[in-house]
Amino acid sequence: MPVILRIWPCLVFLFTPLCSMVPTLDAKQVEMLEDDQVWGRVTRFFLLQDTSVQIVALGSALIGITCGLIGSYVVTRRLSLFGDTLSHAVLPGIAVGFIWAESKDNIALLIGATAAGFLGVSCLTFLQKYTHIRQDSALGIVLSGFYAVGICLLTRIQKMEFGSQSGLDSFLFGQASALSIEDLWGIGCTLLMVGLFILFAYKKLLITGFDHSFSRSIGIPADFLQYVLWLLLAFCVISSLQIIGVILASALLIIPAVTASLLVKRMHTYLLVSAALGAAAGLAGSFLSFLGQGMPTGPLIVLISTGIFISVLCLRPTNGLLTQWYFSRKNTLRIQRENTLKAVYQILESHNFQNQTIRTQELMSKRGVDIVHCEMEIQQLVRTGLVTQAPTVPSPSLPGQSTLSLTPKGWEYACKIVRNHRLWELYLTNEAKYAPDHVHEDAEKIEHVLGEDTIRQLERILSNPRKDPHGKLIPSLTDMEMGNIQNI
Amino acid sequence: MPLIPTFDFYQIFLQPWSTPQLVSWNLQIIIMGILVCWTCGLVGSFIVVRRMALMGDAISHGILPGLALAFIISGSLGIGAMFIGACLAGLACNFCIEWLHSNTKIREDAAMGLVFTSFFALGVTLISGHTGNIDLDPSCILYGEIGLVPLAEKVEMSGIFLGNRAIWVMGVVFMCIGTGTFIFYRQLLVSSFDITLAKSIGIPVKAVHICLMLALALATVASLEAVGVILVVAMFVFPSVTASFFFNRLLYVLLFSFPLGVLYTLGGFHLAHWLDCSIAGAIAVTATLLFIPACLLGPKGGVCSRFIKS
Amino acid sequence: MKSPFYPIEVHDLTVSYQRKPVLYGVDLEIEEGSLVGVIGPNGAGKSTLIKTIMNMVSPNGGFVKIFGKNPKAGTKHIGYIPQKESVDWDFPVTVMDVVLMGRYGRLGWFGRISKDDRRMAHECLEKVDMLPYANRQIGNLSGGQQQRVFLARALAQESSIYLMDEPFAGVDAVSEKAIVSILKSMQQDGKTLVIVHHDLATAKEYFDHLLLLNMRKIAYGPIQKVFTQDLLQKTYGGRLTIFSEMASQAARQPEIEMEKSIS
Repeated sequence: MPVILRIWPCLVFLFTPLCSMVPTLDAKQVEMLEDDQVWGRVTRFFLLQDTSVQIVALGSALIGITCGLIGSYVVTRRLSLFGDTLSHAVLPGIAVGFIWAESKDNIALLIGATAAGFLGVSCLTFLQKYTHIRQDSALGIVLSGFYAVGICLLTRIQKMEFGSQSGLDSFLFGQASALSIEDLWGIGCTLLMVGLFILFAYKKLLITGFDHSFSRSIGIPADFLQYVLWLLLAFCVISSLQIIGVILASALLIIPAVTASLLVKRMHTYLLVSAALGAAAGLAGSFLSFLGQGMPTGPLIVLISTGIFISVLCLRPTNGLLTQWYFSRKNTLRIQRENTLKAVYQILESHNFQNQTIRTQELMSKRGVDIVHCEMEIQQLVRTGLVTQAPTVPSPSLPGQSTLSLTPKGWEYACKIVRNHRLWELYLTNEAKYAPDHVHEDAEKIEHVLGEDTIRQLERILSNPRKDPHGKLIPSLTDMEMGNIQNI
Repeated sequence: MPLIPTFDFYQIFLQPWSTPQLVSWNLQIIIMGILVCWTCGLVGSFIVVRRMALMGDAISHGILPGLALAFIISGSLGIGAMFIGACLAGLACNFCIEWLHSNTKIREDAAMGLVFTSFFALGVTLISGHTGNIDLDPSCILYGEIGLVPLAEKVEMSGIFLGNRAIWVMGVVFMCIGTGTFIFYRQLLVSSFDITLAKSIGIPVKAVHICLMLALALATVASLEAVGVILVVAMFVFPSVTASFFFNRLLYVLLFSFPLGVLYTLGGFHLAHWLDCSIAGAIAVTATLLFIPACLLGPKGGVCSRFIKS
Repeated sequence: MKSPFYPIEVHDLTVSYQRKPVLYGVDLEIEEGSLVGVIGPNGAGKSTLIKTIMNMVSPNGGFVKIFGKNPKAGTKHIGYIPQKESVDWDFPVTVMDVVLMGRYGRLGWFGRISKDDRRMAHECLEKVDMLPYANRQIGNLSGGQQQRVFLARALAQESSIYLMDEPFAGVDAVSEKAIVSILKSMQQDGKTLVIVHHDLATAKEYFDHLLLLNMRKIAYGPIQKVFTQDLLQKTYGGRLTIFSEMASQAARQPEIEMEKSIS
């Protein structure tokens, strides 16, 4: 149950990519997706027969790489929402650029957008430096203020004579199908700039990102680098607008980089993984939108990035939700096994080690569990070869009537656990000055994590003791080998 | 046609109120705008002091798939389904962000950016998958068009005309949120300022938080038709931030959002009339324009007053 | 009237943050009317102990009782003065608002602030010499003044137990003396005070009981008995390495606790 509680938000998340399939299953589109057509489309996509497909696929992949690279810095420097704000803030710049050139001229749009982005950053810095407004509110102010101006200008443009066929709407969500060769060149240039910048400033960026004031003290122009990073971020956002649009541009920056941060620790692999994930999402998104016909590319790219993120979250090697669940289950079984073995030992001990076998009934009452549970625990031990189970003579068919005996391996294991427990109790009372009635609880936990090395260390500290604080014998190494406790 | 039309006082300020038909039409727009500003201002004040301004942004984006799914499942644009869908999606968005933040090492800002863009992308995909056969217009949800509010269906009860549906819905939401805020003002104040004290005197802090998120989603959905999901953030942030330059008590900040709301709406309406552009956008621009002098000249922490002090 | 229970009773308390144990098997019984200083090195779990008593952090093992009740019901007897960093000083509230918050616990869900509450807040502000600043925003005060406002709020709560997390951090010497004298007078009124403190030099004159803490309780008792070279050495002299190592390993495996609760 706790596992479910812990992963349920993730389930909600998992629905994200699943739900995106809903529209494709819509009745109206099913007839369009006849089998041969789908395959025809798949081959057409992969053979890159159409120029438009070439451009879109290449553009999406390139923008994925660019955003992945810059995004790594954005996420590690906690600028994620800054990217979002910047992408909204360029909108008035685009509108002004459009008015200026009276058409969708790339250069004019770029200049306008860069200027607006720069103005947005300046406003943000101003608000944070000279007023009491906190960062989140300042971001909200710049974001919505600039965006509002942008919307006003856009709606104004649409009423002007040259604006009716502008297609400026596409900047809000992107329109990958309208991607032109010039756009592609723009993306390529941005990638080149980003690549060169990272290549030349890699070490410096690493230091400034880690410790801003230290890097200034050793003469690295930290502020300058920061501004260049912002500028490149603005370029990145602007060049991705045609594909993904103003509102979702930040997703391409954030999601691949966050996914990469779950996987790797070092900056250069981080950059590579993030770029690769961005490219993969870009390609897959353009492929899906080609397949689905009329599905917007931008949102699909974002959804695929999210899908990748969720799978990584669940399946990554050490901390993934599913992997963690698997290891946790394995661990639970081990601890349960150890506790059962310990109970068997304690029963044997209560008979002064006169018998070699114990009855299941005894184990049941010792462990305080019901018969079904107890049988399950015993089966665990039998399966791992620690215990052998034999039916008792008088009534072999009755449950709970079998007898158990430890195999040599089981005996050794049981001795080890008991030994861990008692040594720890002794350590707590003698060294950490715990009251003897407090140590049992703690030893119940620690016995499962004590390693061989620690045990040796404890023995040395306690000078090879024989008895625990409650006066019980601590099984020694020879006892383990002999297969029985030596009575002194 | 020039970008900025000539300023004609009569054209801009008097013409909209010159005939009874125009007055009744424009009055509906103004009332709607004021209600939106008031509702968002109330919720926004608490959002801002809790440092969650961007959570407002995130949730307002995040409700989109809820709206789309509600439409797809119920097959209509009924208010009930939309409200439920949006509130559920808003809460899911909030929970995802908090879960990612507390259970992985992903930082809060990254988690926020990740979740809300994903939700938004899902919403856009769902809507665009359905635009072919229905009238759920994505651009309407995104920018809203307060100018079309008077076209909403009329509410009639046993033959008596009661008014516009959109305004009624907004009014009810405003009343709910307003009453809630003023009844539970103390609880909201304490749990925003000092969680420990709130907990120790028995205020259910978690429930207060969820209610606030719910109010946020509710306010967003209700103002959707008017201002759209993105500009609603302006309505959340601007009133309380502007007021914070004049007052240092939360109660006054809350109350100040009422006159500000009226100013925003009237200013925005006439600005839009002048420039012939989106009214919602113009309202947000007015908010920005009013914010700038407040920030520069405000007596409590304004830039000038700081400058003089130092 | 003396309660038959200890104001604060802590039994075998274990608390972990991010699966790293911070407190381990702490036992503590604080007598009514004592002025207790909590002392230990950085990261010794001082704040965590306070937070656990305040029910802000839930323990992994053991329990806390306040006047014999569990902390959820008991925290209303406690006035808490938070660490300076955990307060949002830009929050739009005035000094008077903050002090009035101390009365909220007595108002219930729908109660309004009465004249008596206002008079009470007034008196509390007067006691800490902050009345002239009643209408200031809390961010516009000096460190010592800010601390005194929170002290006034705690006074307004009329609790019987007060917990304070580093009340003297960032406070000038004059304010510190003033705060200490208020604390002593509170003690004379029969209140129980637990104060996290980091300055060994002043500890001896400020408190009458001392709790030495370094992940576990090193010692607790009257100051003459506990303030010894030997015990202080033990508190600040590092940890038992095996002990803390094993404790953190065990805390990393939540399955152990699960199995324990089954069997």
